[in-house]
Amino acid sequence: MIESRVKEIIARVLNVDVDRVTCQLSSGDIPEWDSVGNLAIISTIEQELEVEFPLEDLFDLTSVQSLIDEVTRLTNV
Amino acid sequence: MFDATHSPVLCAITRHATVTPDKVALIEGQNRITYGQLVTNIEAAARFLHSINVTTGDYIVLAARKEVEFVYLYLAAHLLGGVNVVIDPASPQDRLDYILGIVKPVALFGIDDNVGATHCIAYNDIDLSDRVGKNIDLPQIDATSVADVMFTTGTTGVPKGVCLSHANIAGSAININAFIGTHDDDVEALGLPLSHSFGLGRLRCILMAGGTIVLVGNFANLKTFFTVMEQEHVTGFGMVPAVWQYIKRLSGTRIGKFAHQLRYIEVGSAALPIQDKRLLMELFPTTRLCVHYGLTEASRAIFTELHSDASRLESIGRPVSSLVDVSILDEHGNQLPDGQEGELCVKGNMVTRSYYLQQDNQEAFFGEWFRTGDWGHRDSDGYFYLTGRKKELINVGGEKVSPATIEDAIRSLGIDDCACVAIPDPKGVLGEVPKAFLVKNAGDRPAIEELQRQLAQRLPAHEIPVQWEWIDQIPRSASGKIQRLKLKH
Repeated sequence: MIESRVKEIIARVLNVDVDRVTCQLSSGDIPEWDSVGNLAIISTIEQELEVEFPLEDLFDLTSVQSLIDEVTRLTNV
Repeated sequence: MFDATHSPVLCAITRHATVTPDKVALIEGQNRITYGQLVTNIEAAARFLHSINVTTGDYIVLAARKEVEFVYLYLAAHLLGGVNVVIDPASPQDRLDYILGIVKPVALFGIDDNVGATHCIAYNDIDLSDRVGKNIDLPQIDATSVADVMFTTGTTGVPKGVCLSHANIAGSAININAFIGTHDDDVEALGLPLSHSFGLGRLRCILMAGGTIVLVGNFANLKTFFTVMEQEHVTGFGMVPAVWQYIKRLSGTRIGKFAHQLRYIEVGSAALPIQDKRLLMELFPTTRLCVHYGLTEASRAIFTELHSDASRLESIGRPVSSLVDVSILDEHGNQLPDGQEGELCVKGNMVTRSYYLQQDNQEAFFGEWFRTGDWGHRDSDGYFYLTGRKKELINVGGEKVSPATIEDAIRSLGIDDCACVAIPDPKGVLGEVPKAFLVKNAGDRPAIEELQRQLAQRLPAHEIPVQWEWIDQIPRSASGKIQRLKLKH
């Protein structure tokens, strides 16, 4: 559930096909996922999935998988 | 060896290949390309281009992917006297169609899908096997002939092609290298997009200087960027102010650990707040912090080095070199005295002579002076200060956005009238962001969330307004032109 929501948000924000958003995809791998896109992903996930990423974790949230793991961790707290 | 005398950039690269053939010029992932290999690959790419009938004066379109093949083709086209049109690989379809429609390129590289009738070739389908073929007979090519056409965002939303000659792009690199003090032992991490004048210019600067450039996807993955800085002993990089905000937000002041190895940082494309200038000076006490002002049409006309100009941090600096002249002119093109406000106008070795379409040249120049559309003044010591902007583009993190493009998209959703203006980013990251003013009968107004959702299918994320306001009427002049300034106050 979280995995599909996170992937759907990333695809929508970056305006790319959701099939391109694999768990292994990392920021910077595709031109659409630039720094502006990354900030948009972070704020959209925070807003729509009602989580708040701790500032000290942002540096390490570099892949789709790391975002899924972080949202899972935060929603289980 | 081909004759490259028309291209000072290629002449410099060839010279490095002769003097230091084993020096690494380019790093991309596991690829390490020496200057000797670079020249061989440029020549092979030129033979490939020739084999698909690209010749002097022809146009090719290159999607600016961070791949070595992009660099080979870009320089190979220059070698043949062809013209590059470098585009963002993520260009919206309508922009791409417009550009292809007017330049009619022989081929489009780096876009996998077929685009209309244009011959599309993926970078990994380029045949670089012809490494010892015969030289190609070329006509005499002049250094003032067009090397690149860079499309910028016009105020009406229609892209404008800026024609830059071989002499322009080399002149710009020479000016910048002299100001920054670039050495042949510099190693630069290039996270900027190559489809922008800033990023492409950094590539040319380093290759002209004989240094090493490391192609990094972009700044989104700071972990990767920091790893490259460490592993490749990077000595410099370029960034836009929005990237600096991004670095601060995601990594705090961690980047300061590279202060001992960074000889320079170039910042530009938008205003850098004074508190950020001070923070950079604190974090990088011995690094040359070079902040530029410029446009694609007049690349990096003005520079300031923060440590040297510490008492004038409000200023954008002075002309980059003695070959560049900047003046404040009135609406008739007359020079204004120091202290008086007018339009910043530039002339010099890197200034474009023309836009691609003749119609775009109207009111673009006062004789030799290129009109920037920015307002400001000069002090008695020759330092320039920006006070406003005549052109109405919104600078979203270095991406120039036309309000007209957003307004057209909003009107297409059934909104009676609208106008967009720049506002400071409430999050303090992107510099400016768009705000939309909308007009529609109170009972028929759709939810803003619905407008945002529909706009996301029409516009890139950074062009979607972050603030929205319903008003009764959009202020317009007698001729029907939107009076955006009235909406800002």
